[in-house]
Amino acid sequence: MADKDASPAVLQWFKKSKLWKSIFRHDFSDTPRTRLQRVFGNVFLHLHPVRTPKDALKVTYTWGMGGLSFYVFLLLVVTGILLMFYYRPTTIHAFQDMKDLAYAVTLGGFLRNMHRWAAHLMVVVVILHMVRVFLTGAYKPPREYNWAVGVILLVLTLFLSYTGYLLPWDQLALWAVTVGAQMAANTPVIGNEGPFRLPFVTTSNDARFGLIGGTMVGDSTLIRFYVLHCVAVPFLFCVFLCVHLWRVRKDGFSKQTGEKVDVWPHLVSREFLAALLVTIILFVWSMALPAPLEGIANLNVTPNPSKAPWYFLGLQELLVYFDPWIAGVALPGLIVAGLMAIPYVDTNPKGIGVYPAMGWKRIGPLRLWHPTERPFAVTVFMLGVVLWFALIFIGYYCRGPNWEWYMPGELWSHRRVTKLTLKNLPNFWGALLMLCYFLEGTPMPKAIKARLAAARGPNAPARISAAFHMGLGVVMAIALLLPLTTAPDAEYPLRSRYTTLFEALGHAPNAPFMSWLYRTVEALGPALGTGLVVACILALGGALGFLGLKFATFKDRMYDELGPVKYSLVMGLFLMMMGVLGKLALRLLFGMKYLITFPALSFNI
Amino acid sequence: MKRILFLLFTLILTGLFGVVVWMDTAREWTGYQRQFFHSLTRAERKGLAGGIHQVALEDLRRIDRCTTCHVAIDKPQLALAEQPFTAHPGTYLESHPPEQFGCTVCHGGQGLATDTKAAHGEVKHWEEPLLRGPLIQSSCYKCHGDVREIEPHAPRLVQGMTSYKQLGCAGCHTVNGFGQNVSVDLSDMGEKPWQLLDFTFVHGEERLSQWVEQHFQEPRRVTPGFRAQELPPGEEEIYPTFMPNYGLNEEQARALTVYMLSLKSQHLPAAYVHPPAPQEPEPVYASSVEAGKAVFQKFGCAGCHGLDGVGGRRSWNAWLGDEAPSLVPVAHYYDRQTLKEFIRNGRQPVPRSNPARPTPPLYMPAWKDRIPDAQIDQLVDYVLSLGEPLPGSPPANGAPQAAGGNP
Repeated sequence: MADKDASPAVLQWFKKSKLWKSIFRHDFSDTPRTRLQRVFGNVFLHLHPVRTPKDALKVTYTWGMGGLSFYVFLLLVVTGILLMFYYRPTTIHAFQDMKDLAYAVTLGGFLRNMHRWAAHLMVVVVILHMVRVFLTGAYKPPREYNWAVGVILLVLTLFLSYTGYLLPWDQLALWAVTVGAQMAANTPVIGNEGPFRLPFVTTSNDARFGLIGGTMVGDSTLIRFYVLHCVAVPFLFCVFLCVHLWRVRKDGFSKQTGEKVDVWPHLVSREFLAALLVTIILFVWSMALPAPLEGIANLNVTPNPSKAPWYFLGLQELLVYFDPWIAGVALPGLIVAGLMAIPYVDTNPKGIGVYPAMGWKRIGPLRLWHPTERPFAVTVFMLGVVLWFALIFIGYYCRGPNWEWYMPGELWSHRRVTKLTLKNLPNFWGALLMLCYFLEGTPMPKAIKARLAAARGPNAPARISAAFHMGLGVVMAIALLLPLTTAPDAEYPLRSRYTTLFEALGHAPNAPFMSWLYRTVEALGPALGTGLVVACILALGGALGFLGLKFATFKDRMYDELGPVKYSLVMGLFLMMMGVLGKLALRLLFGMKYLITFPALSFNI
Repeated sequence: MKRILFLLFTLILTGLFGVVVWMDTAREWTGYQRQFFHSLTRAERKGLAGGIHQVALEDLRRIDRCTTCHVAIDKPQLALAEQPFTAHPGTYLESHPPEQFGCTVCHGGQGLATDTKAAHGEVKHWEEPLLRGPLIQSSCYKCHGDVREIEPHAPRLVQGMTSYKQLGCAGCHTVNGFGQNVSVDLSDMGEKPWQLLDFTFVHGEERLSQWVEQHFQEPRRVTPGFRAQELPPGEEEIYPTFMPNYGLNEEQARALTVYMLSLKSQHLPAAYVHPPAPQEPEPVYASSVEAGKAVFQKFGCAGCHGLDGVGGRRSWNAWLGDEAPSLVPVAHYYDRQTLKEFIRNGRQPVPRSNPARPTPPLYMPAWKDRIPDAQIDQLVDYVLSLGEPLPGSPPANGAPQAAGGNP
């Protein structure tokens, strides 16, 4: 038992009273028994296990990201509830209420700043939490399901943030939401402007109408977003959050090494300190920077550029390279589906509870820092994360009026005009190019290898694989360069100045490779020029084929491990991700807009 | 270690919370109020309340908190000499009681805000900055439809309106349904969002008043268009504004700016609005030439053809080698009938002097729907009277002749 209680007599008397005992079921002496009682006797703490491995407590393992996501959510709930006292979701009041908060309400400005910055912080922390869980392999069995729940929570976080973005009813809000809502209008099948639109879908019953409750953003959007932001999405979020936390407890923590220690005080104290630290950061942040508030929302004045909230800017940046139904609907859908699929297709049981070991590897003249464990999984995932943030960076810092490229810090000019010359590949060649690209993912299963080796000698599989990949590479190069150099310019069939795609792109400053090729061919004359084009086809084809061939053994091994279904899922998602980069290169180097285009169906890739 | 951190963090957070509360209570206006109350004797202070003062104007949909700092604005007996403690000059508050009009409806600025810069609207993202100097006269026209009533109080506004008529702006621009549509409708110029304007060549702050005033003084500096070499190859050049430079001095430009800023389409409640003066009867002129001169004035012909038609304004067309539309030689080239038809139907577009460049944007509009036929006749008389007929040419105001004699 504990030492004799040294507290004053009044307190001792009070502690023996019925009132005290009805609230507190145990005393507060530091004994193993009370340590346990504190955790499982407390509704708020009982989601914790009573004891946890010591290594799981290391800050450098979790960085506290999961707990902090939860804490920042709580902070947002508290500040949000307080803000609701001062907010009326109507177009004539909402903006005025923002001004009132800033200028008249006690601590109103601080409250709003805190809510705004905490929302940004929550998005960041949730993403970092996901990256941490991926890197430490914590999504692997038995935690696959919880990873999927986590992805849903990520989506809900983004949606919470997006719905809240409209509520101040300023220009920033209106146009960010307009950009987002416009993407909904491009949903395939049920969007008014999307591909394969159903015959009865119009502006007044499509997906955009459902999102914003009207044909343009207005009062009905505001009340809709208000209810979503304050009630509906938080409710869903809490449901999934319960499941998520419960499953962390039930499935066990991913780190299980080290002796077990009591959660009270070891884990609880760390959580408390982390929460304090984040609160301090948010306090300083909210004191130093006021939350942005532009002029009152005005549908007649479109700011140029209009940017989506930063976490969706990557998708908006992709609008440069893809049609809205791909950039705004298909790609985000694939990203979410792909993320959820990760634990189900990654059958590698290694790497749970540790960060992947990194090492140096020489590839030709390059020294690459790469993961030596789970190299494919980690590289691909991190590539996706980096790509996502790189696109956000470009969209946020490098895009000015008319979505023109500016270096960060460069002064914007509304007088800068760039003329883009972009051309479509003829559909046949574009489809061929895409087909060959996805065929590059074809593996050669063990059984076929064995049969080939038996029939045609031991070197046959390798030779056939080389021929297959090189052949695909060359066909891709032909499908790209042949029509670009020979096809007529379909947009201006009768205009004498530009007659072929080659000539049109030859004068285009935004197709550096094609204009270089055009000028060189002009200088060399017909015979040498044709030779140069053929050489380019062979070089490009060879390079693409070599790239495919380089991964041939890896592909074959992966196929044998995963089987056809999982393999096609992994390879398909991987090729689509790399395809985004490929489309970027096609546009920036070759001045290409679409590979396949059916304007009548609004279907363009 | 953890105990120290715990203590440290808790102390920092408590401290920060204290700082936040202090920042909130020590807002700018509390300082002003304290300063003001210190200047008063105990007896004077009686009945005065601290805190945020505001006037809620339901009819005008405004809430003005200006009196939070400008505490003595309607108490001349307590007012001090320096801002923000002065009393309102003149007797304006007697005819415009603050509890009915507030402040921002005349002065502009951000009524909801309570720190100086934001309240004066001189921050980004506030469309109505404080109207300083003569610019405030532009607010009078919101309610006072008949400006002659208030001319002593709004001399710049009246001067601007007069200049607008004299210079012939109506020849190209429309205001409230009167004028030509060669160029933009100015009916709501005073509330044009500044985001829609190009401030690249405007000196000073990005304010509508700046843009308008500088555009009056040097239209082509503010809106220079795009020369071919500034554009990607293959794009047609965009001409600069075809608004002529009227050589206005700063005062005239300011007066016109005041008038432009007064043009708003917003509807104030009827109780606030004084109707415009009834239309004066048309004066009787001694001759049809006199009457024609009045028509020339009224419909803004002077905008392009110069005051009294003597000197054509150098328009962008003139710069391209097209005609400078002076009316002095007209009598030599036109007979009555051709001239009348010409005025009735206009000439659009003006033939290009250089077919490689875009069509010049300025042209002679058709007037048949705007000027009654009898007045066009008077106008023709006036225009033909302008030039001295050459010896041997037919008399300018003679009977209609065959068109064959014209080039």
